[in-house]
Amino acid sequence: MRIGIDVGGTHTDAVILDDQKVIASTKVLTSANVRDGVVNALDEVLEQSGIDHVAIEAVMIGTTQFTNAVIERRELAPTAIVRVALPSGELVPPMIDWPDDIADALGRNVYMIHGGRTYDGFPIAPLSDEEIDEVIKDLIGSGIKHIAVSAVFSPSDPLQEIEVAARIQQKIPDARITLSHKIGRMGLLERENAALLNASLLPLADKVVDSFSGALADRQISCPFYVSQNDGTLMSAEFAAEFPALTFASGPTNSLRGASLLTQLNDAVVVDIGGTTSDIGVLQDGFPRQSNVAIDVGGVRTNFRMPDIHAIGLGGGSLVLDDGSTIGPQSVGYKLVTEGMVFGGNTLTATDITVASGAADIGDATKLTGLESSVIETAVAKIHSIIDAGIDQMKSSRDPVPVILVGGGAVLVSRSLETASELMRPEHSGVANAIGAANAQVGSETERIVSYRRIPRDQVLEEMTALLKSELIHAGAEGETVKIADIEETAVSYMADESTRIRVKMIGDLSFGQKGGS
Amino acid sequence: MSVTITHEDVADLCTGSVFLATGGGGDPYISQILVQEALKKYGPVDLLPLADLPDDALVVTIGEVGAPSVSLEQLPIGTECLDVIDRFEEWVGRKITHIVSFEVGGANSVIPLIAAAAKNIPLIDGDGMARALPEAQMMTFAIEGVRPTPALAVDYTGGCVYFDTADAVLYERQVRNLAMAMGGMVFTAEHPMTSEEARRAIIPGTISFALRLGRLLRENFGNAGLVEKPLKDLFDSSDYGLLKHLYTGKIVDINRKTVGGFDVGEAVIESVGGKQGPMHLSIKNEFLVATVDGQVVASVPDLITMVDHETSSPINSERVHYGQRVTIFGIGCPPHYRTERALKVVAPRAFGFDFDFVPIEKL
Repeated sequence: MRIGIDVGGTHTDAVILDDQKVIASTKVLTSANVRDGVVNALDEVLEQSGIDHVAIEAVMIGTTQFTNAVIERRELAPTAIVRVALPSGELVPPMIDWPDDIADALGRNVYMIHGGRTYDGFPIAPLSDEEIDEVIKDLIGSGIKHIAVSAVFSPSDPLQEIEVAARIQQKIPDARITLSHKIGRMGLLERENAALLNASLLPLADKVVDSFSGALADRQISCPFYVSQNDGTLMSAEFAAEFPALTFASGPTNSLRGASLLTQLNDAVVVDIGGTTSDIGVLQDGFPRQSNVAIDVGGVRTNFRMPDIHAIGLGGGSLVLDDGSTIGPQSVGYKLVTEGMVFGGNTLTATDITVASGAADIGDATKLTGLESSVIETAVAKIHSIIDAGIDQMKSSRDPVPVILVGGGAVLVSRSLETASELMRPEHSGVANAIGAANAQVGSETERIVSYRRIPRDQVLEEMTALLKSELIHAGAEGETVKIADIEETAVSYMADESTRIRVKMIGDLSFGQKGGS
Repeated sequence: MSVTITHEDVADLCTGSVFLATGGGGDPYISQILVQEALKKYGPVDLLPLADLPDDALVVTIGEVGAPSVSLEQLPIGTECLDVIDRFEEWVGRKITHIVSFEVGGANSVIPLIAAAAKNIPLIDGDGMARALPEAQMMTFAIEGVRPTPALAVDYTGGCVYFDTADAVLYERQVRNLAMAMGGMVFTAEHPMTSEEARRAIIPGTISFALRLGRLLRENFGNAGLVEKPLKDLFDSSDYGLLKHLYTGKIVDINRKTVGGFDVGEAVIESVGGKQGPMHLSIKNEFLVATVDGQVVASVPDLITMVDHETSSPINSERVHYGQRVTIFGIGCPPHYRTERALKVVAPRAFGFDFDFVPIEKL
């Protein structure tokens, strides 16, 4: 038995799963201290299921606490960045493009020292003992304990980051240091931004992880627990306490993973229809397809692995105008339950149209008797064509694909869709996030720029997979289940040396008694 | 009339440059930051109209050569473009009186602004490509017979390599190999020109044009159908001439591979509603040839630009992916690239295609 928990800004959801079967599920309010909300949700599902706490083998938690902290600029620790790159990047210092409010929240404690490597591993400059000592002296003076360290091409060669961090740690034993190569991919500015945000979130991470373990202890659940990452894989609680930034965007990821688990489909388009918008994502081999553009978190550019989500302005509360030919993007939003016509209001919404067409039984259908059938027909067709267009933009081949409908507005789709080979409406879709969290695997990826003329491809792959495997075992994976999930190779343009950027991702099952998941 | 560029204009100039880069040139984000900082520190830059160039000028072109994607990791120092000027002057024993951009596509359209601001050297409103193209011999400077050297390249260590090579193709090989050995990117000062050569070889007005184009795209933010008319009017009033809507559809296939250090590939776009056959777009760093039903509808050296259909933001070739709704525009190139001598190095045959160039207005 596993418990999946999703701690959102408003609601905390929990489910108990027996292998793939949902035994119990609940939705309670998130508490200010996180812990009480989790305890409440645990109580509900344990009571519903009648299952004894000792039968729980693992708990998986997804949370938006860290994303929200960055967006709201709260609970961020004063943080320093040490970039190992000079002379390169001298006039493009860390945090140069940050919004003032968040730069001020962390303080602008920026240090740049000589070092780093070129794309082919040649040293840019040797590390300088004097420079490092100078930085440490200054850090001791300012009392800053949260530190990010970045170095040029550290994803290919992390040794300089490791050495600089070790020197700092030696002189400041209680320093908490995030190394950029542990948290981001190629793109120095974006990677060090991620490392900075991560380091600044460490005190909050302690607090949140403590409240998770406290809540579990309160209910005598002593099995290991895990936290979900933005790429749909899990990390151990200790790892999450060290890398809270890896939870950014885990919400939509868990929702997509949950939809996959509920339908047993590994390749499908998932449409999560809410009150104002619909989020469309793509499942590939059971995991969300990732976005390939720079992702802003609270105004800071990062290159986190995030699901590729296309949001369209159509939901249950979308306004219906022009005799049904225009729907959305304006919406009555959460006021649907007072302003929608079936609820006695005066605004014609997409939900009203669906009720009028006979496809759903919500509110009072008699309030809609004045609607002309041509308006209903036009509007129903429009709703379907908007969703069709959105799916078409996201799907990865020209053939129709299986489509999974989740969310409160899923009733809006009452007919077949041109883009869909089949339409699935799974039960329990309201707690898909918690289900997704409960079923995540562990995964890790790494990236290098190499020339296969200099190092044979087999050797490159061997080095990368060995590194990933040891990382995954450290993160809680069972060694023999670890396998390559993806290899992506792209040419580095304008280089005559046939340099290739290679990214390898591996995943593995969590090592706990009875294996769950697909 | 001269145009002034302030730090607030840089983002627009970059947008315009990505549009004119026809898919190539790389992401100008780092350069944009550097230039914004330089213009905040040293003040705005007045672009010098080519017509106002005095007779006794020494014009030098400066910019970066190498792999733009590498420089997102190993950032420039930020002073390289000042360094190349100092070293060039020291080497040839003369003051550079004016500077000019290689190309108005990507980072190189804005990099020289740093030198112009910090050193107070007039920057000519113009460039050597009016777009982006991959190799040095394709610049109008080379086409018009300007010798590429004396030239020099500064690398990330601050070290400098001097070139004395008469031939543009040989110079291109030398400097590209140096870039590869030195971390993927070097900054050069090259193609020194007399006033007479500069007037002949520089394509005038392209920097201020890119700025106007970027501004237009910001102010008319919206789908490509709405932006087409103002775009047409803008191009019509320039040396580019005709802007033609070529296609609107969805990317249904994209493949890329590396051949000889270039990203070579093809994108296939299908029209909405299937009214036309699919468009095939050949890529070699830049978008080079567009065909519909086997018929060429635009080809290099004319410009082929891809924009996101909903927002009209130009799309770099490495960002093209399945499912994007895009609009493709074809645009005439300035007359500098329509001469017989120019077409020898920039027409489809120069890129290995087996057909002759036909100007877009005749297609």
